[in-house]
Amino acid sequence: MNSGENILTSADAVLKAVDIRKKFKSPDAREIEVLRGVNLEVLRGQSVSLRGESGAGKTTFLNILAGLETPTSGEIYWDGDRVDNLSNSKQASLRGGFMGFVFQNYCLVPELNALENVCLASRILGTFNATLKDRAVELLEKVGLKDRIKHLPSQLSGGEKQRVAVARAIINSPRIILADEPTGNLDETTANDVMEMFLNLCSEQKTALLLITHNPDFAKLTDKRVYLTAGELA
Amino acid sequence: MKWWLYIALKQLFPTGRVASFFAGVSVLGVALGVLGLFGTQSVMNGFHSQIGTKLRDTTGDVIIRQNGRPMYNLKSFVERLKKMDGVKAVEQTARGPVMMLVNNVPTFPVLRSFDTITGECALPIAEKNFVRMGNIDKLDDDSIIIGQYMASNAGISVGDTVEILSPTMLDRIKKDEVPMPARLEVVGLLASGFSDVDSNIALVSLRRMRDLYGLGEGTHAVVLRLDENQDCTKFARNLQRELKYPMRASTWLTSNEGFLRVIKMEKVMMSLIIVLIILVASFSICISLYTSVLRKTREIGLMGAMGARPYQIALMYCFQGFLIGVLGAFAGLALTVLVLHFREPLVQLIVGRQALMEFYHFAHLPVKYELADALWACGFSIVLCTLAGFFPAIRAARLKSSEAMRNE
Repeated sequence: MNSGENILTSADAVLKAVDIRKKFKSPDAREIEVLRGVNLEVLRGQSVSLRGESGAGKTTFLNILAGLETPTSGEIYWDGDRVDNLSNSKQASLRGGFMGFVFQNYCLVPELNALENVCLASRILGTFNATLKDRAVELLEKVGLKDRIKHLPSQLSGGEKQRVAVARAIINSPRIILADEPTGNLDETTANDVMEMFLNLCSEQKTALLLITHNPDFAKLTDKRVYLTAGELA
Repeated sequence: MKWWLYIALKQLFPTGRVASFFAGVSVLGVALGVLGLFGTQSVMNGFHSQIGTKLRDTTGDVIIRQNGRPMYNLKSFVERLKKMDGVKAVEQTARGPVMMLVNNVPTFPVLRSFDTITGECALPIAEKNFVRMGNIDKLDDDSIIIGQYMASNAGISVGDTVEILSPTMLDRIKKDEVPMPARLEVVGLLASGFSDVDSNIALVSLRRMRDLYGLGEGTHAVVLRLDENQDCTKFARNLQRELKYPMRASTWLTSNEGFLRVIKMEKVMMSLIIVLIILVASFSICISLYTSVLRKTREIGLMGAMGARPYQIALMYCFQGFLIGVLGAFAGLALTVLVLHFREPLVQLIVGRQALMEFYHFAHLPVKYELADALWACGFSIVLCTLAGFFPAIRAARLKSSEAMRNE
């Protein structure tokens, strides 16, 4: 087993996972260990890609890093502070400002237009104001949706929806963005456009990125590449 | 604005639309429930109030009797009553059934006396113009005022002469005497608006009534009319302490207790049945919100991921139920006032005015709005709708973000 002290050497680590283990019980009561002592460190402004076969536990690992799921054992640090031992409520209040999310299925609120969807993240965080609204407009312009600000999700294409999701993830200036196959539902050209825009924006905002992807080409665009196999990172 | 409030409002009233289909239908459902409940209560209040007024106008506020037997030597007693606080009028009356012959066709009205000498009357006959096609002042010992429906049924007009035979005349027949019926001229029609009275009562002078019933100087009852703000029950209770047995003081409320209780019971029963409409509406809201939770599982998961607390997610759904309840309640109140404003043509269309007169004794559907009923109907709807949002809210709050995001 790797010890945390040996792995965590950088003071600039935004997100650290130390010896994360996760066991599930299968329907026939067998114990399945999905993660077997995984260690990961994401530095400030660094982009990290996480690849692996389907069912390898990538999303489970991402959820554990985000505090959405509890590890069987191991430690999680956000900006150097241990968070896995905090209550769900405390984690939730920290998470809103610390990390942003982009998912394969966009997860936009259908009743809100593009601008309102972007602003939702800051509303939940409780920081929404006129300045943030201007920033949301600015972000939407940056992701190429200047003319789509008032459009509802149903009036947007898949690529456009994902751009809105990216802008929403960035609006609160999080320290890190966790993206779970953000281009999984897009065609190749759109996926390339979205990924390029995404990486540029993260780099521009100096936001760290943990990207789960199946696409080796996208993985190559990141600063660090890890592969999850048999419950361990390679 | 709190974000959960903002999302709740947006889910009910999405950007670019006035309201979602769910919100529109739910608010309408609750509004119809409130219309049913508050509308029924208001109409029943109207019935109660109208019938109460009619009963009071045709019975008198407080009635003093002596086990149905005639009372004599009441002069000083009546004077004492007149001096009591809150007493507006005191009237000695006689009352009883007679046989009335018109063109040899018998009818059996109840005669009630009116003191034509003193003009004192405990009923608002003159104030409320109860006499049509004539005047109460025209009544004398040789005339009669007949209920308008009775006159209509018997084909009697003002100016006709009717013959009256009283039950006491039977005694004279037993003594082999031939009693002569009293011949009275019809000088007006009684139109109190209470069909029970207008179909059965005829007014004659007190002297004529005493003569017909062989009362001498006696009377059957002393009827009191009180000031508007007087509590007649309390007044009668206090008066009873001063009365000697077998004199008893009763009120128009106790005299008509059974009738009034039936109306009250009708209101309660109808309200209970109509409450079911609101219950059904709230179940529909619950199911719709629950479906919404299932449909929006990923969004709820995302909100959790973005830092939303479970209680905030729960509040988002509870507030939707609450808001539907509030909007439905107010829309229901407005709808009630609107529908009841146009009640006359509706009644005419649905049951016909004749049915209203036949069963409820008045020509117009009465309505009386009471704040307590409005508050009850609104409060009940709002509480039920909030509860309807509570169960989906619990479901939404219990969703784990990690599982919700994986939801297919």
